[in-house]
Amino acid sequence: MKTLLATVLVLLSLVSAPLFAEETKLRVGMSGQYFPFTFVEQDTLKGFEVDVMDAIAEEMGREVEYRTAAFSGLFGMLGSGRIDTVANQITITEEREKAYLFSKPYVYDGAQVVTKQGNDTINGVEDLKGKTVAVNLGSNFEALLRELPYADEINIKTYDSNIERDTALGRVDAFVMDRVSASQIIREKPLPLQLAGPTFSSIANAYPFPNTDEGRALRDEVNAALSTLRQNGTLKAISEKWFGTDITAP
Amino acid sequence: MSTLDVDYMLGLVPVLLGYLPLTLQLASIGMLLALILACLFAVVRVLKIPVLNQFTIVFISFFRGTPLLVQLFLFYYGLPQLFSALTVIDGITATIMGLTMHFAAYMAESIRAAIVGVDRSQTEAALSIGMTNGQLMRRIILPQATRVALPTLMNYFIDMIKATSLAFTLGVTELMGATQKEASGSFLYFEAFIVAAVMYWIVVEILSWLQGNLETRLNKAYSR
Amino acid sequence: MIKLTGLRKQYGETVVLDGIDLTVEKGEIVVIIGPSGTGKSTLLRCVNFLEQPTAGELTVGDLTVDVERASKQDVLQLRRHTAFVFQNYALFANKTALENIAERLIVVDRWPKAKAHARAREILERIGLADKADAYPASLSGGQQQRVGIGRAMATGAEVILFDEPTSSLDPEWVDEVLGLMKQLAAEHQTMILVTHEMAFARDVADRVVFIEGGRIVEQGPPSDIFYHPQDPRTRDFLQKILATHQV
Repeated sequence: MKTLLATVLVLLSLVSAPLFAEETKLRVGMSGQYFPFTFVEQDTLKGFEVDVMDAIAEEMGREVEYRTAAFSGLFGMLGSGRIDTVANQITITEEREKAYLFSKPYVYDGAQVVTKQGNDTINGVEDLKGKTVAVNLGSNFEALLRELPYADEINIKTYDSNIERDTALGRVDAFVMDRVSASQIIREKPLPLQLAGPTFSSIANAYPFPNTDEGRALRDEVNAALSTLRQNGTLKAISEKWFGTDITAP
Repeated sequence: MSTLDVDYMLGLVPVLLGYLPLTLQLASIGMLLALILACLFAVVRVLKIPVLNQFTIVFISFFRGTPLLVQLFLFYYGLPQLFSALTVIDGITATIMGLTMHFAAYMAESIRAAIVGVDRSQTEAALSIGMTNGQLMRRIILPQATRVALPTLMNYFIDMIKATSLAFTLGVTELMGATQKEASGSFLYFEAFIVAAVMYWIVVEILSWLQGNLETRLNKAYSR
Repeated sequence: MIKLTGLRKQYGETVVLDGIDLTVEKGEIVVIIGPSGTGKSTLLRCVNFLEQPTAGELTVGDLTVDVERASKQDVLQLRRHTAFVFQNYALFANKTALENIAERLIVVDRWPKAKAHARAREILERIGLADKADAYPASLSGGQQQRVGIGRAMATGAEVILFDEPTSSLDPEWVDEVLGLMKQLAAEHQTMILVTHEMAFARDVADRVVFIEGGRIVEQGPPSDIFYHPQDPRTRDFLQKILATHQV
């Protein structure tokens, strides 16, 4: 039985061997499901994250290979060494800093409550008491909500995807997402949603790397590239292309 | 919002069709391996082969008792953390491994029940003409058990096709992953998922038709 | 040529066969009679190792096996030297009449398929079912199924065919055709050991009748002796009861 299993494993690995990337490529994980940062249109991966990472890779003189996976799988891929970093608006948190090395932030943002259009009862985070609020599974917004003094009174639902649709359908009272993508969704997509009040916690997003020597070296390289791109205006240009404003500066 | 964006759906068809082969490939390789494994398990259980029998019982209990997603995570993320060499297991391999073991555990019990259900006289007749246990299984018991188990096994296959959608969690973009990503870009969830649903449905219908034909053939021996 | 020495069979504390000694010569037809539950069928099944005997010695042809030390190979060999006809026919449900007969030749004797099928067709001819070669058991009558069952036993070329109440499950209308086939085999001097309640058949066809009770052989001899001059009161008692209900 053991030999059989081993044989099958080896055979399967051989079959799928051509799928392996060359180690020289920078392997970047993203969900492909976070408009307008990372999404797919007619089979083409696009978004702010793709443009920024392409610029960084060019600056580093390396090729980049994007690997998409459900958000809940991205950190697993990073932890098991299948990707080098994650470009998916990963917010720097204390907990994550214990496990990963972070680059310098390249996006500054705040948490934003979003409700269905015409909902006047929620005008900010303090109005979420007694409400059902959706957040993306594995995102840091759940942790942000749980830090609130009245967290017990909020019914938090975690979603793998499609939280904006369920809010528009009225299945939940609100969702919490970063302000940038929330406004983007409202501006561009045919969903009846509105921003509810000001942002309530400012956040900085960056690239996480494994806490290893290679991870550290790569992090430093990426930081250098980010500095150059910030100085020569590339970051700002990419941001304005997607958001009409600069989200890369504090 | 109130009407279907038909043009978008038509445009999506060729894109999503491109991911259907991977879905079918995951399911058919998984099913083939699961069938082989399940037959081995079932025979071990029926013949109560020492040591292997106990191993099989534990194996089946574990893979029936835990969610497929947990197993996929264990194979793909967990094992490489323990043994870094196992990073060579890519998402496709891990998905096939997970599907194989998970479904083999279920199918083994169905096949075992079908084997046990074959009339005892068939075994005695085969032994009386001097067949070995292996010949008995291969030529008499398994063919008869297949007929009984076929509808259930086909259900597992259909289940497996749909379970391949979990592969996106391991970074394998199959039909479901591609649909989710396209829908996230367009926000036309309903349209995108309808296209995917119809594709799954057509595949399952074709399989059901094949199953009907196969059952007619297998039942030929049993009609008066 | 067939020799059972001190054959015992126990299920836990229950003794079913209590030391059976029996010798059957080549071409001899032996009918075993006795009350229900006295181990007649068990005796046949032990000869074929469908039941594992508890003790004793079995000889079939040139093969002698101490049942307590029988290896897997011994068991296979014993089975290959004997053939069994079941009360409930036990035809392979997934195989045609032809395949049922040819199965042993192909699988056990490793004949080429064409040769085995040719042989099976000859046998179908002999049992009068040539037109049913491609029929599956489910579409055959009980009598036809049992004839195929006998055909399957004939194909083995075994030294002895063991019949375990071959007509007991049959509707009365099919009994004669099966008995007829068995008589035909008897006329060809096929060695046979039978367990049956067909007393007329035993009287007319058997070379020897063996009366068993309580797991032991009580009395044996030519049918004329056993049926008309039984020595043991238990034999007389049994025959009286059975002859009251069965025509001889």
